[in-house]
Amino acid sequence: MADLFAVWIAVFFTLAIYTFLYKENPWFRVAESIYLGTAVGYGVAFDLKYLRDQWTGVWSSTGLMMTAFAFAILVGLLWYFRFSKKYFYLYRWPLAIIVGTGIGTSMRTIIFAQFLSQIKGQATLPLFVAGDPMTSFNNILIAVMVPCVLLYFWFTGGSRELGAMKVIDKIARYTMMAGFGSAFGYTVLTRYSLFIGRSQFLLGIPPNPPEAKMAFVTIAAILLLTLFGWDIYKRQTPEIPT
Amino acid sequence: MSVLEKLQTIDRRYIYLLGWIFVLVPLLHPLGLPVSIGKYSTAYYNYLDNVPDGSVIMVTFDYGVSAMPELYPLTIATFHQLWNRDFKVVIVASWNQGPLVMDIVLKELKPAETYGKVYGEDWIELGWVPQGEIGMAALGKDIWSTKPADYIEGKPTSSYPIMQNIKTAEDIDLIVSFETGTPGLPEWVRQWNTPYGTPMIMGCIGVMVPEVAPYLQTGQLGALIPGLTASAEYEQILKHPGLATAGVDAISMSHLLVIILVIVGNAAYFMSKGRGGS
Repeated sequence: MADLFAVWIAVFFTLAIYTFLYKENPWFRVAESIYLGTAVGYGVAFDLKYLRDQWTGVWSSTGLMMTAFAFAILVGLLWYFRFSKKYFYLYRWPLAIIVGTGIGTSMRTIIFAQFLSQIKGQATLPLFVAGDPMTSFNNILIAVMVPCVLLYFWFTGGSRELGAMKVIDKIARYTMMAGFGSAFGYTVLTRYSLFIGRSQFLLGIPPNPPEAKMAFVTIAAILLLTLFGWDIYKRQTPEIPT
Repeated sequence: MSVLEKLQTIDRRYIYLLGWIFVLVPLLHPLGLPVSIGKYSTAYYNYLDNVPDGSVIMVTFDYGVSAMPELYPLTIATFHQLWNRDFKVVIVASWNQGPLVMDIVLKELKPAETYGKVYGEDWIELGWVPQGEIGMAALGKDIWSTKPADYIEGKPTSSYPIMQNIKTAEDIDLIVSFETGTPGLPEWVRQWNTPYGTPMIMGCIGVMVPEVAPYLQTGQLGALIPGLTASAEYEQILKHPGLATAGVDAISMSHLLVIILVIVGNAAYFMSKGRGGS
């Protein structure tokens, strides 16, 4: 019974969110607000669970550790001075710690992970792969296109007026357009994949619960009737001038 | 207003309606369009197939419930391949809704009944690791203290047999991640692949593919499943058809609709321009 109720609730919220495709409406507003509230509540609960696990598993072992944990909690609580005009500056301390540790952590390997390795990957790319003409063609394209795009963003000096640079600029523009096209195509794939996954749920396609199909038909009918009905009512009822 | 002009100012809700029709009809009445196996899905399958038995594999959920329609079928198929082998599987999540998705995976796959896998011996779920990249760095340095308790039973991580020899990133032989964005692959590469040399393979939503593909070329990423279509191919290779395979017809039809709309829109634009329209 609880599972059936959950299925109907899930179908209602899915369809209520999709009613935005018709227009902004109260069903959508309700679903959006409840989703946001639930997601935030879920996040807070997980944060608290993590704190509890850290306390019981690591930090409650010695007096020094307990003090350090309490200090970290106090620094964390300084976030809430974000909402005080008088003590706003205190919020900058935890912010500084978060930003500092974040940048420091990523910077320690970024030069190897995302800079040198990419240069090495480009430099060692085989231009001819025996028995695989498509890969060879792809690799030649990469070898030409990557330097062209890098040079496209080279703004120093007056070399941009040279004939060779104009050819490079053109290749770079075509390369970037191809990249944007690829990104757009994959975006369409993702958007439709999300929609297809949700549709599979609404239609009760296994392993989704089969009860969803009945809920889909019933709730869709109710939502559509209320949306269209309200529109027709509004059109037929003249507005009273104020 | 001519037909050409009408086509350019058509109410977008008719296009949404067409979208619903082009998706729901093939789901209700499958067309049985063939699925050709591509190189990405084959490489992903072969990579996992070549991992020796007894290896420690860390599966990381870098997505929440909103990406389930695209990544859930791949997640199910991957666990099917993993649990059919003799791997030690450690499950974490850098997104806080990851454990929620894993709950649904467990409900569907039932590792003890279906694959005979014992919790705490063959696999363990450590749950959410907060703070993104910093959390990943801490996890790599010391798994026991970053996740002092497991997610399912809430017992000390160090008390489980599977975790006796798994303390740092150096004890993990492979990361398998499912991703929708940040934190994700660049962070794992910076905090695990580069300092510890831990190899990685991943599945991601389509939008991310142009961003992560360069990591394949450099070898930092061993294999990649890009989006739902490749997931369907992977299910075919595994002979374990699931939701991705069931959705292939709808993917094809929906993309056909987009292609038709792009052609019609452009044709109408250029034809009306040729006739002196704006």
